[in-house]
Amino acid sequence: MTLPPGIAPWAPDTLARWNGTPTYIADEALKSTVSVAIALGRPLLVKGEPGTGKTLLARAIAEGMGLDMLTWHIKSTTRAQDGLYLYDTVARLNDARFGDRDVRDIAQYIKLGPLGEAFERAGKGERVVLLIDEIDKADLEFPNDLLHELDAMRFRIAETGREIVAHLRPIVVITSNAEKELPDAFLRRCVFHYIEFPSEELLTRICRVHHPDIDDKLLSAALRQFIKIRTLAELRKRPSTSELIDWLAGLRLSGIDPEKLEQTVPFAGVLLKQEKDTQRLARTDLSKLGQRR
Amino acid sequence: MFTGFHSMLRAAGLPVGVGEWLAVVAALDRGAIGPSMPEFYHVARALVCRDEGDFDRFDQAFAAYFQGASLPEPLHQLIHSWLDNPLEKPPLTPEELAALESYDLETLRKLYEERLKQQTERHDGGSHWIGTGGTSPFGQGGQHPTGMRVGEGASGRGQAVSMAKARKFRNYRSDVVLDTRQIAVAIRKLRRLEHKSRRLELDIDATIAATSRNGGEIEIIERPERRNQARVVLILDAGGSMDPHVRTVEAFFSAMKQGGGLREVETYYFHNCVYGFVYTDMAMLHKKPLPDVLRSVPPHTYLMMVGDGWMAPRELFSPYGAIEYGMADEVPGIERIATIAAAFERRAWLNPIPDNYWGESTIGAIGELVPMFPLTVQGMIDAVATLMGQGDRRPRPVRKPLWSRGENPFDVP
Repeated sequence: MTLPPGIAPWAPDTLARWNGTPTYIADEALKSTVSVAIALGRPLLVKGEPGTGKTLLARAIAEGMGLDMLTWHIKSTTRAQDGLYLYDTVARLNDARFGDRDVRDIAQYIKLGPLGEAFERAGKGERVVLLIDEIDKADLEFPNDLLHELDAMRFRIAETGREIVAHLRPIVVITSNAEKELPDAFLRRCVFHYIEFPSEELLTRICRVHHPDIDDKLLSAALRQFIKIRTLAELRKRPSTSELIDWLAGLRLSGIDPEKLEQTVPFAGVLLKQEKDTQRLARTDLSKLGQRR
Repeated sequence: MFTGFHSMLRAAGLPVGVGEWLAVVAALDRGAIGPSMPEFYHVARALVCRDEGDFDRFDQAFAAYFQGASLPEPLHQLIHSWLDNPLEKPPLTPEELAALESYDLETLRKLYEERLKQQTERHDGGSHWIGTGGTSPFGQGGQHPTGMRVGEGASGRGQAVSMAKARKFRNYRSDVVLDTRQIAVAIRKLRRLEHKSRRLELDIDATIAATSRNGGEIEIIERPERRNQARVVLILDAGGSMDPHVRTVEAFFSAMKQGGGLREVETYYFHNCVYGFVYTDMAMLHKKPLPDVLRSVPPHTYLMMVGDGWMAPRELFSPYGAIEYGMADEVPGIERIATIAAAFERRAWLNPIPDNYWGESTIGAIGELVPMFPLTVQGMIDAVATLMGQGDRRPRPVRKPLWSRGENPFDVP
């Protein structure tokens, strides 16, 4: 079978199924999607509400499969080239004047970026997980500039003529907060997953992982309250899993009585970050909200 | 394998190419998908969809293929597109007009969706609900549904299908794809790159040259980074006649503000036609006199105006032509527009009304002063090219309007 662009040739070891990790609870959809992205050697594009664990996913994949992880944080000024390599001209210039290194050897002034390093290690037979974090922060054309390298899994260092080829595909995880739309050609090559906000049952399991010895009463009371807050209309920024976990830590430290949680929301600032949202919460009687439903 | 499913996905409006489909096949082929329907559902969705907005279409196609549910989409889409582009569709019947007048667009749409739902659920032919006689495109779909069975539950197949049929992702989809990205890419071309920035970068060539002259003693030369210096003054019509185009304008606006990479976008609003002042906020509470706006414009600023330019002739050509109280201006609107046009060497007007409606109307008159382009992606590209003074992409010649031929036939005594 002729493979379409962007699909790695079959390698038996790629069939490993990823099942989450003890500290990263994933639902079935996520497990299947991650496994298939690994099997096909395609980048996995992850979207979802902030705080649902997009960035943590890459670490969990690396941990679950026993691989190293490289991170490439994208900023508004990041260029695709930065991910491949940097040519440190200043150091070379400096060495030309003061240094004792041989400046004719350009290779020593080439520093591989995260993508370049992932390729090089893959070329030596070591698979790594590469996280490209918040790709939507970059310039509009950024994803397009990466297309060729992600497809061909190789690039050439112009200054030295050396070519870096990744025989084994690194596992690429890309996160996006949907601040900008991504180009079609780029999306076509990715496996896409949208992390939904976890169900109550999954949420309980996640909380248990982070607070293994939490009091049952406190957990269920806090969860009830948290879900109510999330369902409040007109919230500008709904609290997410990571905020819930922080909040639980705060509640435990304060040693609050679970019964009291019904009436009040202590440490609301941990859950709600916008002033308007805090005001919105203050206007609402949460205990009534529960009865009406 | 499952080629029927592939065509079903395409019928549901998902742009599934051969590449995506082969990826699904490859995943099956390599055993990457376990022998369970829910897993096939998740994996196929991950490979076929590019955005959570696609999930709903996928769910429908999945339910349709694996359980024989119908694809209600074409009907749905038609109604939405009809409501979104009221001008391009065939004339409405008096009853429909009456309905449009008594409901706002959103209520009307909800009503249609409700009825649409009832139709599918009841297996009705139902063409009488939406559309009139045999001419309406909405009549066809009513015969389409072949009936929808309820998911069986226990078996794996049932689970996946009921997952799909739950259509959880309905809220994420947007039927009108507003491609902010394409607009942003078009705006990108609007630039004046200059070495003007507070951030300095190393000028390698100059540094090497200076160092050599210095006999090998390093001399670092820095220069300001190259930045886009393009400034735009954006003047938007926020009047009532622009309401049907609000989504298009929103997409344009957000692309200008975020995606364009412009140095500065100064925004003003007007209502219907520009008179002696513009507003600095969309709610139109704060006025700014027009001369003040024009005086503070730095050289080389681009002007972009957005509006339908469609109004009663006297609103444009007569002194005190404004229909609204408090806007009265002794200078006719057209002269105000001429004043604005004269202040900007580079200018363009983007109009959400399709260009075949422009002709000899107030739009044509305005188009003489400010080159006019349709507010579409191609229109944006042409407008930017004109603003940059490139090539022959001159706007479509607008016929000379009557008012400029020496007399003003619209003049209302």
